Amino acid sequence: MRLKILSMGVWEVIMRKKGLVGLLLTGFTLMLAAAGIAADKPVKIGFVYIMSGPFATYGQFAKQGAELAIDEINQAGGVNGSNVEAFFEDSTGKPDVGIRVIRKLVYENGVDVVMGLDSSGVASAVAPVMKELKTPLIITHAATPDVTGTNCNRYTFRVSLNINQNIAMAATIAAEMKAKTWTTAGPDYSFGHQSWEYFQKYLAKKKPEAAFLPAAEVAFSPAATTDFSAYVTKIMNSKADGVLISLWGGNLIDFVRQARDMGFFDGKREILMTLGAATEVLYALKEKMPEGIWVGTRYWFQANDTPLNQAFVDAYLKRFNVYPSYNAHGAYGAVKTYAAAAAKAKSVDKEKIVAALEGLSIELPVGRITIRPEDHQAVTDGVWGRTAADPKMPIRILKPIKSFAGKDITPPVEETGCKLK
Amino acid sequence: MKPRLRGEAVPAVLVLAALVAAPFVLSIYGVIVLTEILTMSLFALSFNLLFGYTGLLSFGQAGFFGAGAYFAVLTLIHGPASLWAALAAAVIGAALLAAVIGWFCVRLDEIYFAILTLGFGMMLFTVAHNWRSVTGGSDGLGSFALPELHLFGHSVSLFHPVSFYFLALGIVAFGALLLRRVVGSPFGLLLRGSRENSLRVSFVGADVRTLRLFAFIMAGALAGLAGALFAFYNRIASPEMLHWSFSGKAVLMTILGGSGIFLGPAAGAAIFFVLEHAITAYTTNWMIFLGAILVVLVLAFPKGVLGSLIDRWARRQQGPPP
Amino acid sequence: MEGLLANLLNGLSWGMLLFLISMGLTTIFGVMGVLNFAHGSLFMLGAYLSMQFMRWVGSFWVGLLLGPPIVAGLSVLLERFLLRPLYGRDVSFQLLLTFGVMLFLDDGVRLVWGAAYHVVNPPPILSGAIPFFSQSYPVYRLFIVVLGPLVGIALWAFFAYTRWGKVLRAAAMDRQMAEIVGVRVPAVFTAVFGFGAWLAALGGALAAPHQSVGPAMGERIIIESFIVVVIGGMGSFPGAFAGALILGLLNSFGTTLLPDVQMALPYILLAVILLTRPRGLFGAEA
Repeated sequence: MRLKILSMGVWEVIMRKKGLVGLLLTGFTLMLAAAGIAADKPVKIGFVYIMSGPFATYGQFAKQGAELAIDEINQAGGVNGSNVEAFFEDSTGKPDVGIRVIRKLVYENGVDVVMGLDSSGVASAVAPVMKELKTPLIITHAATPDVTGTNCNRYTFRVSLNINQNIAMAATIAAEMKAKTWTTAGPDYSFGHQSWEYFQKYLAKKKPEAAFLPAAEVAFSPAATTDFSAYVTKIMNSKADGVLISLWGGNLIDFVRQARDMGFFDGKREILMTLGAATEVLYALKEKMPEGIWVGTRYWFQANDTPLNQAFVDAYLKRFNVYPSYNAHGAYGAVKTYAAAAAKAKSVDKEKIVAALEGLSIELPVGRITIRPEDHQAVTDGVWGRTAADPKMPIRILKPIKSFAGKDITPPVEETGCKLK
Repeated sequence: MKPRLRGEAVPAVLVLAALVAAPFVLSIYGVIVLTEILTMSLFALSFNLLFGYTGLLSFGQAGFFGAGAYFAVLTLIHGPASLWAALAAAVIGAALLAAVIGWFCVRLDEIYFAILTLGFGMMLFTVAHNWRSVTGGSDGLGSFALPELHLFGHSVSLFHPVSFYFLALGIVAFGALLLRRVVGSPFGLLLRGSRENSLRVSFVGADVRTLRLFAFIMAGALAGLAGALFAFYNRIASPEMLHWSFSGKAVLMTILGGSGIFLGPAAGAAIFFVLEHAITAYTTNWMIFLGAILVVLVLAFPKGVLGSLIDRWARRQQGPPP
Repeated sequence: MEGLLANLLNGLSWGMLLFLISMGLTTIFGVMGVLNFAHGSLFMLGAYLSMQFMRWVGSFWVGLLLGPPIVAGLSVLLERFLLRPLYGRDVSFQLLLTFGVMLFLDDGVRLVWGAAYHVVNPPPILSGAIPFFSQSYPVYRLFIVVLGPLVGIALWAFFAYTRWGKVLRAAAMDRQMAEIVGVRVPAVFTAVFGFGAWLAALGGALAAPHQSVGPAMGERIIIESFIVVVIGGMGSFPGAFAGALILGLLNSFGTTLLPDVQMALPYILLAVILLTRPRGLFGAEA
């Protein structure tokens, strides 16, 4: 009963039952003192995002989402009564740097949990190391299915959509398009390659007559590329009439700008942009983003009109002057999920948090998510939409919006290759 | 020869003793950083065999460092789960690569040598970056289990940072000792001679190209050893380890510490990491300081920090000039 | 057919940018014997300054006019106070010094402008695209393809026919002799360094609308320009032109035809030239 009152929010309790609260707080403090834990030892969360280079705005937006969530939690009394402290590190998108900064966060800063990761390459490298560090990792963006699949482990969780789920949606939309031969433009690392691999797998099931260009004819570009003209030319002069674009962040911004001037969006090919509805990209491109393109995202701020989502969008817009991106939501959601797990476990002990996260179900702005105990992947709803102009909005919005239920797009555990349980 | 070694032995033993005692004094994070310093010291020392002792500035040593990393990890993934096998593969593989590449490079001098080594290093980088099926592409090769160390019949797990530290210390000390014997030998004398005046050395009967090739192979092999250690430490081999900017790190550390002293590059590695740690506590823009420091050093301390300090100390010992 | 032409234009536009920066690098090396590692950073600085001027004044042309001279001025100071003391010493030290300057500048732009990438729009006259068979091609890139050779010819004429040009060539050919006949070589060196920097920054300012402006710009282009200079021949203008063209075309055609090895092609070419004809395609006999 005591804990139920605590989770209601200290402020509300104080307002309602002043005498009782005084007694309870005294008792609680004595209890903590007896347990040898100082009540003011903060809960430390480490965040690792890409803060520099072509994807720097992703890291920046994620940081904003995290800070919003942490301030909301701290104002409501913190996690289990303790203040939350955040540490941000830059993975620069490189796997060895990612490992290095996570070691620093765990050993030097003593964080209780690590969140983040934009790059699938970094995630794949880092996930096994979490076993040695015995620290939970909550992934909020990196989408490689491996970390909750063939390489899953006890300490790695993901609250965001992965490639499996996003591409399932893409394939559904592609199956209804008239394109017959598909190619891809993606970043030359696991995210690009796996997106393409899963797209071929899923589309072949839904539309057996679909054809795919061979490896030598598709366009994978190194992540540091800023001049995409050669890749645009390659695709435009190939036999493909459908393009799966898994480029994201700064890569996508450059690609769209350059491709537009070369006539790429002239309507001769069907286009799917798996991460085109990132507000980081939409803000940078403004009206240079063509209309009528099917784009995917992990979270769209207009897709859900629950009060929780409205509150989140309003708070974010008010504080940062831009609409929240999916990366911001990912960070925000992860912090809230962690707080819920800590409340469930009544502790921030790492092993107890791991146990509490399994099977945890929580309402986030994106909707309700449930973390599967068998592979630690969240079953979450997804959204795709067509870009459209709206005179009242500073960026392209999605219209129509096509929502997919989590259970329809998330593959069963047997298919993921995860052998946790 | 002998008196100098004895003069050097005392500080060397002191340094070694301090390194052995370090884990008991430092925090775990400190041990982790020190491990990285040791690994990079070996890399920088191997670089200096070429730069300081042979007079060859190579901007491609990272190619051998990274190749060693990949050979080691590939052995662990596809071959026996033995630490010694992986290390051997790294050294032998890197040495072979250095032999082939070196054969081409030693034909050239000065700036052309530097540029050609850079070119070859980047070719190796391309292989690591593009050959996805073997090297994992730009994501690198991770997800391998670090096997236990089998030594004198005992098995030691390397999971704990301190255990790994001692492995690194052992390997680096071995590599450094080996290098020291080489540069102190007649071969080393010839190398230094060829640095000063390659024409005269060839008059004495030494084949400068062969000398340089041997030095190149040795430097490559030791760089590969350091690379393997680095891959174990980071639990991953990634293409960045072969990039010319990674070679630049060895160059920087050597200049920081001084190319004229044997352990200069090691001191430089320590200075590099300590600086990084100290500066990044305040700002992420630490390269700006490093660049400024490098500029100051090149202008004011041609012998590097350690080199200049030792020079000054030695001059004080000698007393005022006659 | 369209693919071929599009790739040709892609290669030419990138090649011309590379040509501008390589011209500066090769001049500096030809006259002073200094291989300037910081050259890519000067290129990047030119791009950032032009972006900044666009933000302040709203005009691309102002940025193009004012940015490069500022970078040139900075470089003159650099040469006078940092590089000049090293002329007597080993070549490696000059390389190391410029390496340090590169680190400083690359992080410096991060400090001033942030670590993110920035998008710069071409000026209204040059924006948009023109129809190109059944596709289209950006006007701005065509502008660069045309501008590159024009600048090259202008500079070549300068070096070949004007008095200043003769002075520079004299200082390059034989420093001592030039000093004896009254050429103030140190001043000439400073002027040349500044001029090379101006060219690099001009390239950067022109490159800004072509691709994103970011802190890694300099690091990427410095190696490519080294390769251009070596392939073409150190100190040779036609060499820089040929080298840049080759590299640009390798880049665009390589991506389409040989995607797996495309990244290594410049280095392979570099190795071949260094081992068979070290003075480069158009370089003078050493």
